[in-house]
Amino acid sequence: MTDAAEALAPPARPDRLHGLLRGPLEMWERLGLQARVTGLFASGALLLSLLMGSLAFYTTSHFLVSDQVNAAITQAADGANTLQADLPADASEITTLLSDLDSSSGAQSVLVFQGTPYSSELSLSTANLPRGLLDLVRSGTPGTQNFVLGTTPVVAVGIPLPAVPGGRAMYFAIFDLSDLDHTLHVLALALVLGGLITTVLGGLVGRLASGRSLRPLSAVSRAAVAIAGGDLDTRLRSTTEDPDLAGLTQSFNAMVDQLQDRIERDARFTSDVSHELRSPLTTLANSLNVLEAHADEFTPRAQRALELLGADLRRFERMVAELLEISRSDTGAADVSLEYVDAGELVRQSVAAGIRTMPESAPRPVVLVDPVLDGVILSVDKRRFERIMTNLLENAALYGGGATRVAAEHGPDRNGQPTVVVAVEDHGPGIAPGERRHIFERFYRGQSSGRRGASTGTGLGLALVAEHVRLLGGLVGIEDAPGGGARFTVELPAIEGEEPE
Amino acid sequence: MSSRILVVEDDERIRSSMRLALEEEGYDVDDVGSGEEALDHFAAQAPDVTLIDLMLPGMDGFECCRALRRQSAVPIIMVTARTDTHDIVAGLEAGADDYVTKPFVAKELGARIRALLRRARPAEEEPRVLNFGDLELIPEQGVLRHHDGADVHCTRTEFRLLCELATNPNKVLTREQLLDRVWGYDYFGDGRLVDVHIRRLRTKVEPDPALPRHILTVRGMGYKLVP
Repeated sequence: MTDAAEALAPPARPDRLHGLLRGPLEMWERLGLQARVTGLFASGALLLSLLMGSLAFYTTSHFLVSDQVNAAITQAADGANTLQADLPADASEITTLLSDLDSSSGAQSVLVFQGTPYSSELSLSTANLPRGLLDLVRSGTPGTQNFVLGTTPVVAVGIPLPAVPGGRAMYFAIFDLSDLDHTLHVLALALVLGGLITTVLGGLVGRLASGRSLRPLSAVSRAAVAIAGGDLDTRLRSTTEDPDLAGLTQSFNAMVDQLQDRIERDARFTSDVSHELRSPLTTLANSLNVLEAHADEFTPRAQRALELLGADLRRFERMVAELLEISRSDTGAADVSLEYVDAGELVRQSVAAGIRTMPESAPRPVVLVDPVLDGVILSVDKRRFERIMTNLLENAALYGGGATRVAAEHGPDRNGQPTVVVAVEDHGPGIAPGERRHIFERFYRGQSSGRRGASTGTGLGLALVAEHVRLLGGLVGIEDAPGGGARFTVELPAIEGEEPE
Repeated sequence: MSSRILVVEDDERIRSSMRLALEEEGYDVDDVGSGEEALDHFAAQAPDVTLIDLMLPGMDGFECCRALRRQSAVPIIMVTARTDTHDIVAGLEAGADDYVTKPFVAKELGARIRALLRRARPAEEEPRVLNFGDLELIPEQGVLRHHDGADVHCTRTEFRLLCELATNPNKVLTREQLLDRVWGYDYFGDGRLVDVHIRRLRTKVEPDPALPRHILTVRGMGYKLVP
């Protein structure tokens, strides 16, 4: 019950948060090392330029603005002194005086005297001034305030004029800050541009640096690919003097040495074992031959035992021979003696040789060799091709109820190159698509062939087919035969036109 | 009269089993355990065919083969556990006519022995005389000699190979055809047998074996004899 209650509880919040972060995190993880380093460099450069830019902008604007405001205050104080010392009584004279002040200071002035605002500009009055500044000055304290007049950024300096008779006189000087504003805009633009350039440069530097430092890694990766592809002689060249990388190169090469040594030792062992087994097998086989020649002198029980002995001795021989064959191609000692042969003749002879190894009673496959193949030239190792055919026929006999059809055709492959395709079909249960990948593995026994029964297979037949085909530069495949069963295909490159000299 | 076979093999059990099996096939068998014994025995009673294991203690199979070849044209089959190209070619170069790899049974060995002992074609009414270069070849009499009368010594297999080529002058014979007619192999016989024997034959019948004028290689096809 408690379990159920717990299970019903909503997931905890951190999980949801984690869930939200998971997407971007996974995306980041999926990025390559180089992309990540580039990203980090770019973000670092962006952050740095943001920081430096803001700092530069802040200090510069602060300095410029306070400079401007201080100048404004000095000017305004001069104006205030002038007004305080000698304020005319007549309104038009006041306006004239304000105009004079304006032309000398470059400001626009507003004077509030006995509750009436005066200005050199008709459009300007106390209504244009910020209320806060008005109140401040009205209370007897001088002050400044930045604001926007119409569309123009300005700073207004307000000074109370207590010495003016009649009291409550205030002087405001409004200074145009468009130039300063423009300067700051340009500065901001320059800083943003600079920041962008720095970011891009940072990313580029990151990319270059990571590419450079990853170069040894990509060399390692290429070498690993080559080794995985079977080229065990691949080593990293230690061209660099860099102590960080020399270690990697050394340990990588040491690893491959060990690996190669081990693989070669294993393969050599298999080869040695197979060779050593051949001598006692010779004794066994010849002694058995003598016994078989005298089988009619034995009791039925002894005859049956002799049959069993004979059947498995032949299987044992096959295994030893096939193990040796496999170990030879593992050690790279496989000698492929290529010769130019007529494709039609080769297929007919090889299939006939394969059929000769089958018991008399076994059903014979229909053999269809396209007449075009007489005259098509293959560069091939005949013995290996014969083994391919024999093993495929035997495989069909063991697991597919016997081969029903062998068809050899001439045709272009996917890349339009001339090929000879030989297909061996049976009417057995076929090979499930999931099994096709494994069927060429050594000692693999599929679902359909799990029961050994009276099978005389060695478990190496198809592995050897794949090995022979590989050595001949061809392709081996499995598909469904028309009407059920399996269809093994062997595709070999043909030589176009006449036999080369 | 059954053929006499000399088995040279150091492994006592293999030797005994081969003797039993070959006797079962109807051959007279002598067996020895080393190359030195083989040479002694050979001097006492020359066999029709000799089987030599390549891995022998003391004088090895190659050396034994060369020593026998110096004194006789007897057909030699070498027995090897290794199927490396190197061993097989070296064995043929040492003078062996054919090879078998372990494990083998007396039955298949019998087929090889019969092929080696097979005579040239039955005599026709008039013995043929084939001429090429300054050489005269009489297949039915096993004669190969210079026109000045000096005999050219070659093994039975070399002689038969030469007869096949000489009876079809200017015609290309493929390795398969030669393997079939001389060694009794089918389509899948080992072409190296032909190549090594041709090489040996050239050293005997060509004025300059490096620049053959009579036994020519036709690349990718086979060999032909030009008189």
